[in-house]
Amino acid sequence: MSVPGLRIPEEADLRTTLRSPTVAARVGVWLGLCFGIAFLTGLYSHALQSPPGWFTPLTRPVWIYQFSQGLHYLTGVACVPLLLVKLYAVYPRFFVRPPWQDRRAMLLHGLERGSIGLLVAAAIFQVASGLANSSQWYPWLVFSFRSTHYAVAWVVVGSLVVHIAVKLPVIRTAFAAPVDEGEEKSSGLSRRGLLRTTYVASGLAVLSVAGGSVPRLRRVSVFENHYVPGGGVPINKTARVAGVTAAATDPGYVLAVAFGDQEVELTLADLAELPQVTERLPIACVEGWSASGDWTGVRLRDLLPLVGAPAGSAVLATSLQEDGPYTSSELAGNVADDPLTLVATGLDGEPLSLDHGFPCRLIAPGRPGVLQTKWLGRLEAT
Amino acid sequence: MARLAWLRVVLGGAGVVLLSWGAWLMVGLDLSDLLEIGAWWAGGVLVHDFVLAPLAILVWYVVARRLPVWARAPFAATVVVLGTLTLAVLPTLGRFGAKAGDPYLLNRSYLAWWFVVAAVLVLVAAGWALSARRSAGRRTQAP
Repeated sequence: MSVPGLRIPEEADLRTTLRSPTVAARVGVWLGLCFGIAFLTGLYSHALQSPPGWFTPLTRPVWIYQFSQGLHYLTGVACVPLLLVKLYAVYPRFFVRPPWQDRRAMLLHGLERGSIGLLVAAAIFQVASGLANSSQWYPWLVFSFRSTHYAVAWVVVGSLVVHIAVKLPVIRTAFAAPVDEGEEKSSGLSRRGLLRTTYVASGLAVLSVAGGSVPRLRRVSVFENHYVPGGGVPINKTARVAGVTAAATDPGYVLAVAFGDQEVELTLADLAELPQVTERLPIACVEGWSASGDWTGVRLRDLLPLVGAPAGSAVLATSLQEDGPYTSSELAGNVADDPLTLVATGLDGEPLSLDHGFPCRLIAPGRPGVLQTKWLGRLEAT
Repeated sequence: MARLAWLRVVLGGAGVVLLSWGAWLMVGLDLSDLLEIGAWWAGGVLVHDFVLAPLAILVWYVVARRLPVWARAPFAATVVVLGTLTLAVLPTLGRFGAKAGDPYLLNRSYLAWWFVVAAVLVLVAAGWALSARRSAGRRTQAP
């Protein structure tokens, strides 16, 4: 059945003077740059959470993870306008009719179509799933966000590099000409106008959410996901949600420190008798937000001699929290031995609150917030 | 030209290696994960190609082309900025991830702020349109 006058559009039907390779190439460079930064910072964050054997986490500057993860989140947000306008510029190509008659041309056409389809599908998924995760929204039912976002990142970057290789001559021609070459006069936006609008849109999108990562922008970041009135360190998981209230407020609470068959149990009073330090350290979440606090407590490296563990031992920190994906975390030798790695009992001059991890929590430079284990129950040197 | 050809081969090869590693990682996922991921991939493409992209064309033909010429570019720019910004913060606007136990998560009046942002953008566009109209008027009056 066909309706007279209605048919599937062809490439030429959708071509406008705005949808030109000179526009696509220029937006594409920014998009590629943002994907590249998000990929590298994402790899770093993944390595911190699932460290390969050769990997040594960086602990200086102390804000390195705050910076890299903030960059990861913000470049991801910047991708939304860039990706949409890039797709707008090339949309007519979607309606190119396959060269059915010629087998060889058909094969090449199929390969190009397939690789672009893969790139587009994976890129949309990557940006959308990252945005959902940044607001702790998990609309999917089965797959795990972290392993999927990690695997798809390689697919996106791989198919992006293949795409650049295929399109290199087009890109070169597009950059050799001014953006308005061959532009017809239209009553709407010019090509330059569209490019400027796209960059403004990306900039505004970043500004509107950046307050979580760049505290100075807090006043203009009206779409920030985590907002603590009056500043201060946000709380991602309260004691009640974690189900640790009873264990954490138990008067008989002790922190177990172990190495091999050596073990000591420290009460809060025991911890208070050890040398106390106060350090200003950021806590930076994988979701992009971060905040700094003045943490008071005992250096982790000062606890290890109590059980005869050698300096530079790796340490497994376990929470009182029984269920959940982040009930324990491992500290590499260099992190455990760092003078800024604390078993904190106070924050900003006050005793640690229950939601911040009372009786005591881990705080170390350069780590994702989910690894700054709260409600510590046991430290085991290995 | 030979250098460009070499660069293409090297880039293409590197891309295939990265892509293969991604494919290998994905093969390691459960089949049920892969089915769901496949559905999301297809869904993203369908939403773009059959909803968002046609919508952009429709807005141009149904709304923008009926506006006076001096208002069309400001209108189009506002649609691009507000539309893409809205999509970028959609999970925040909808507060889909809000949890009863977390008072600091998604705790602002995002929808009210969205109207403020939209109003500011519309004001800026109106200023642009008016100045475009004035300069269009000057051009027609010029001898």
